[in-house]
Amino acid sequence: MNRRAFAARLISGWTAAPVAVTVLARELRGQAQAPSGLDSSNLFAMDQSASRPVRLPPKPGSRVVVSAAERDALEHRLLCQCGCTLDVYTCRTTDFSCQVSPSMHRDVMALVAGGYSAQEILDAFVGVYGERVLMAPRAVGFNLFGWAAPFVVLGGGAVLVVALLRNWRREARAELLTAPRGAHVADATEEELARLEAVVRDDE
Amino acid sequence: MIVVGELALWIALVMAAWATTISFAGGALRRSDLIASGRRAIYATFAMVLTASMGLWTALLTRDFSLEYVAGHISANMPNVYVFTAFWSGQAGSMLFWALILSLYSAIAVYSNRERNQVLLPYAAGTLGAILLFFLATTCFKANPFTRLDWTPMDGRGMNPQLQNPGMAIHPPNLYLGYVATAIPFAFAIAALITRRLDAEWLAVVRRWSLLSWFFLTVGIVLGMWWAYVELGWGGYWAWDPVENASFLPWLTGTAFLHSIMIQEKRGMLRKWNVVLVVMTFLLSIFGTFITRSGVIESVHSFAQSPVGSWFAAFFFLSTGATIYLVATRLRNLEAKAELESMVSREAAFLYNNLVLVGIAFAVLWGTLFPILSEWVRAEKITVGPPFFNAVNRPLGLLLLALTGIGPLIAWRKASTANLKRQFVLPAACGLLLGGLLAALGMERGYALVTYTLSGFVAGTILQEFYKGVNARRSIHGESIPRGFVRLVARNRRRYGGYIVHAGIVMLFAAFAGLAFRSEHDITLRTGQQFETNDPYGHHWRFISQGASTDKRFNRVVTSVSLETYRDGKPIGFITSEKRQYFDSAERPTFEPSTEVGIRTTAKLDTYVVLAGVRGDVAELRVTFNPLVIWVWLGGALMAVGGLIVMWPQAERRRTRQAGYVSVLAPAHTAVSTS
Repeated sequence: MNRRAFAARLISGWTAAPVAVTVLARELRGQAQAPSGLDSSNLFAMDQSASRPVRLPPKPGSRVVVSAAERDALEHRLLCQCGCTLDVYTCRTTDFSCQVSPSMHRDVMALVAGGYSAQEILDAFVGVYGERVLMAPRAVGFNLFGWAAPFVVLGGGAVLVVALLRNWRREARAELLTAPRGAHVADATEEELARLEAVVRDDE
Repeated sequence: MIVVGELALWIALVMAAWATTISFAGGALRRSDLIASGRRAIYATFAMVLTASMGLWTALLTRDFSLEYVAGHISANMPNVYVFTAFWSGQAGSMLFWALILSLYSAIAVYSNRERNQVLLPYAAGTLGAILLFFLATTCFKANPFTRLDWTPMDGRGMNPQLQNPGMAIHPPNLYLGYVATAIPFAFAIAALITRRLDAEWLAVVRRWSLLSWFFLTVGIVLGMWWAYVELGWGGYWAWDPVENASFLPWLTGTAFLHSIMIQEKRGMLRKWNVVLVVMTFLLSIFGTFITRSGVIESVHSFAQSPVGSWFAAFFFLSTGATIYLVATRLRNLEAKAELESMVSREAAFLYNNLVLVGIAFAVLWGTLFPILSEWVRAEKITVGPPFFNAVNRPLGLLLLALTGIGPLIAWRKASTANLKRQFVLPAACGLLLGGLLAALGMERGYALVTYTLSGFVAGTILQEFYKGVNARRSIHGESIPRGFVRLVARNRRRYGGYIVHAGIVMLFAAFAGLAFRSEHDITLRTGQQFETNDPYGHHWRFISQGASTDKRFNRVVTSVSLETYRDGKPIGFITSEKRQYFDSAERPTFEPSTEVGIRTTAKLDTYVVLAGVRGDVAELRVTFNPLVIWVWLGGALMAVGGLIVMWPQAERRRTRQAGYVSVLAPAHTAVSTS
């Protein structure tokens, strides 16, 4: 764009710019392509090929032992593998462009129809995708450390805080015992005591 | 203007380097000419970053697709409002935006303290210059928004449709304003550590900026929740995504600091802890940015494979190392005489509050990082999602809610039994009454019941405090209730503004507990077919599909389904949900289709309808009943209002006049400690 065109656009106002660009763009259509390779946002790119089959043969004489509500709850515990970070139920009922969560849902349905329990279905998914398919790690082995650490740290912090408070209280008592009688009153002038009183009354 | 902007960006980099060097040198050599030069360099840096920003905005608004950033983030047919917000919608632009806010804050902080804090200022200016230098260097060398393409495309790629939302236009700037404001307290903390002037002087500056940061983080987080709720369509507003966690972490430590600072102001205690909290809040802002921009953690927002990650990591570790060194070598200066008369006192309650807030921050950080640790230790990838965060944070949150009520009722220094009885009877009765009533009405969810009991208790404490205050004013000044209320808040803005924030917190907790009763239905309807169900309150709902329709609007094709809705047999109108396919000026589709949720909001319930897909005249929908969601937004708004009241300048002047016990009786506690 030359300086004259730039100045004209500024004068005509920013709202006119997209119109002009659109007209120009239509005239030049076919001469250049939109930059499809450029990253355009900070939102994730969906991986439609992340789905893998989770199949088990139906149990002999299989009958369904998982209710629809339990199945939905089960799907809330499985992570959709498209990269959306949502669970399978939420993803498949939210985003119709995702191919992964419907595929995982179909596998869940087949396993439910095959007579498998909720836990067996979860195990089957973990067997295929690994533990990352679960929305939260199971509280076993090393994962126990993950679950317990926040509470252990908070408990440790509580012990520290109580010890600190006791120490401060001991110091306050020791000072009270060692200080000459009336020293606390004598430390302050009448004016200071009046100010203190005002602060106490109007504390925050 | 674009070329001028690009040039200004490089000049800003040089200016920031100059400000850093000359400010530290001026402080060390005690040369006022160098200090003044450093100060002016900060102003110049702001002017240059502003010019660079104007350059980028010009490039965006004139659709200069020769710039990679412009071509990658907007298209010719986008509305100007989103072209304007594209400034911060991508990596490079958001880095420049961060630098813009930081340089503005730095200029304000330096200008407003040029006479008041002459000893601290050169080091604070130097530290701010160093942070600016980092952001500008990262922008110039790793994520430059002025990078040009080898060819000029006819049109740009456009913006992700989910970002084309009013919430997304204002949520990121608020978060950035909050994040970046943590740099000012950090800079003054560093200055105080370097000069060993760790008294109340630096706290006065720091408190104001910490409040500002807290305010913007609160507004930014709540706006982000609102955007996620109305735009993403998954039915909730908080998913414990790493980016959400990254904004929550500095909010938690910042909140802890705003409470613990009162103990230092009143009693001169907790000096070390306050420095640690200020530093931690800033470092968590940087750390959060690092983990989400480095791609080390999977996030729905992640800037995967981003080149700035390693720079952020280096900056984070460098800042952490320098701070640890400074704190470790100044421990003696941070010593303060600490005495406590009783374990049941306001001081102790603030400490418990700090423990829980920092405990929640640890739990959130731990959950965010545990997948990395697990992969490192076990070579097994795991997911740490909402079930983990909810299970861990629920009890901690309830503990915090209880302390929100307990803290303000306990007297400073020592609470007597009579004091406790007098203060607690009414609020405790409120809580138990509410809890008992809900249990009698059949509420069985344990956590929800405890939450509402505690909410009743905390609401009782707040009402009691306002009642006592207004009543006192009525009897002393003969004021009416509304006038007494306004005067009460105006006369002690910190205290009553704080209570208003607490009221917002109660609303949020009550709303969070409401989600325990949400119910969702996955349905498929042909035109004219209906679906009937009951909501969590037992009301009967009927939805009749009006069929799918498709029309073209501006830069998108919209497929929508309307449901004629009846509640308990009475018609209440239509709820419409949409899928939108955006296209560029050449009418090629851009991005995946996005969701526009249909929401009917009342005080008790949101009826949330998502169109998942359409096949012919068959619509696949999800209907979710979300109880009490509106109270999240109202609670957030109330917190913001309370924050504004606390921040109001007059409150600050009054506070300075009444500096608490410390200035009244124990000047030694606040005496300037110099090496």
